[in-house]
Amino acid sequence: MSTDKIIASKIIREFNAPRQLVFDAWTQTKHLKNWMFPMVGCKCEFVSANIIDGGTSLHKVTMPNGHEMWLYTKYEEVLSPEKLVFLQYFSNENGDIVSMDHIPNWPKDMLASLFFEEVSSNKTKLTFLWEPRNPTEEELKAFEATRSDHGNGWGAGMEQLHCYLESL
Amino acid sequence: MSRLKTTHDVFSAIGEPKRRLLIEQLVIKEMTVNELVDIFDWSQPTVSKHLGVLKKVKIVSERKEGRFRYYRIQPDELRPIQEWMHQFEKYWGSTMDQLDNYLNQIQVKGIDSEH
Repeated sequence: MSTDKIIASKIIREFNAPRQLVFDAWTQTKHLKNWMFPMVGCKCEFVSANIIDGGTSLHKVTMPNGHEMWLYTKYEEVLSPEKLVFLQYFSNENGDIVSMDHIPNWPKDMLASLFFEEVSSNKTKLTFLWEPRNPTEEELKAFEATRSDHGNGWGAGMEQLHCYLESL
Repeated sequence: MSRLKTTHDVFSAIGEPKRRLLIEQLVIKEMTVNELVDIFDWSQPTVSKHLGVLKKVKIVSERKEGRFRYYRIQPDELRPIQEWMHQFEKYWGSTMDQLDNYLNQIQVKGIDSEH
């Protein structure tokens, strides 16, 4: 395990909704199935969900082009309405974690920590941290190398690279 | 910081700022060492050394034509890495756009009239 300090990647967003509702949206399948996907036109289906401390969930996201993605989530901390901590993995339909061995040194465990803060009765600030858990030195290096929000070099060029790869 | 060498250390290869600049340049078009030397104003051994590392992890390939060697990006090698790089900001950023839309919707319409 690396002794270097990990600086998590971070997204901060504000939502025009009460804190309890934003928290519930992350922890109740009746909400989750309606939004937990990266673009309009996806479908999200929960096969199992036990969203409590130590619980797990398994869901499938179907992309607009029909591509299916299974995600297995281990919940570490579910503290309504302020904090949610989970590890999420690509899996198969049985919830078996798919190994990322084809990407050398990619951190095995990526930890998401979400903090929900009340800004006003109808405004909630969400801070989302994303970091490798107990990474080896190699894994930490891999994580650092892939960040665009920190370090040198990947800025506008990163977008260019993305457009180029998308265009092929 | 000392660390173990691995034979296929792509992330360490792209973690070096100079190599990122080389990748970004080669994304535009294939180039010779001399062209890269001119663009970056680095010494020829510096450019060659970094290209050598990128070649070893197969992100860059080399083609000989006459006296010149041309270097180009290997998109198939870079693609999975690039997808992972985008995972957090793009995937979760976009997913939270969906959450934003959804929260606005249900507060206007109510969850039961959602479908």
